[in-house]
Amino acid sequence: MNEKKLVQQAQNGDFSAFTELINAHKGRIYSLALKMTNNPQDSEDIVQDTFLKAIDKIDQFRGEAAFGSWLYSIALNEIRGHFGKQKREDLKPVEEYLPAQGAHSEGGSNSAHVFDWGDPHRILESRELREVIDEAINELPIKYREAFVLRYFEELPVKEVAELIKESVAATKSRILRARLAVRDKLNSVFEDRYGRKMH
Amino acid sequence: MAGKCTDYIKDLNDYIDGELDDSLCAEIEKHIGKCENCRIMVDTLRQTVSLCREGKKEKLPATLEIKLSNLLKKKWDEKFGKKGV
Repeated sequence: MNEKKLVQQAQNGDFSAFTELINAHKGRIYSLALKMTNNPQDSEDIVQDTFLKAIDKIDQFRGEAAFGSWLYSIALNEIRGHFGKQKREDLKPVEEYLPAQGAHSEGGSNSAHVFDWGDPHRILESRELREVIDEAINELPIKYREAFVLRYFEELPVKEVAELIKESVAATKSRILRARLAVRDKLNSVFEDRYGRKMH
Repeated sequence: MAGKCTDYIKDLNDYIDGELDDSLCAEIEKHIGKCENCRIMVDTLRQTVSLCREGKKEKLPATLEIKLSNLLKKKWDEKFGKKGV
């Protein structure tokens, strides 16, 4: 049965139609929550609260967006609520992530140091590598983390990410880029340290 | 155009993700061909996302599945009464 029909039936009180609708999305909502919080228990709470809110608001769903996008937007609100009011953190301007370039350097002393990573699996075990990556993602301020997770874990197109975070496409692209640069920076410093240890 | 690194950084994601138009792609490739730091930057940014995507997809825990189905049915009945199928 198509989504529109299922939504109509759910709005008329058909629980099995609602169940069918959420079954198609609950795994992705859980994975979004887990990537954002890095905490299984909090993620379970977010999934529950998202679907409870969806029941509350099912009459308000007008079908302008896909049902999955509507659920994502509820989940994102729950996730933001979970983090509460955080101080307005920001990342460095993109130029400061650029490598220093010797004679034609433009980045100044804040510039990133770059080196070829080769294969990071050769210096870190899978579990440790996963921990480093999770830590790098968790260090991102929420507004950057959600853009990065939606784009690269949920694999949504930039336009859809922009709609979900209620920003322009240009602002969303900038947010995703800064998040990617910040995660790269973090991994770079860990790998550099490990490569250094390995070499000496 | 013999650009500087700062001219290209805002387009790097689109370039790496294959969403940049051909002429800008060609400019970036020309720059990367001459700038070792930017070549490494592009390569490690690409690796950043591929490393992040590694690992198993976490599945919804079975205990949550059961809990959810009971909780949502209860909520549904509160909202729709026994009209809920």
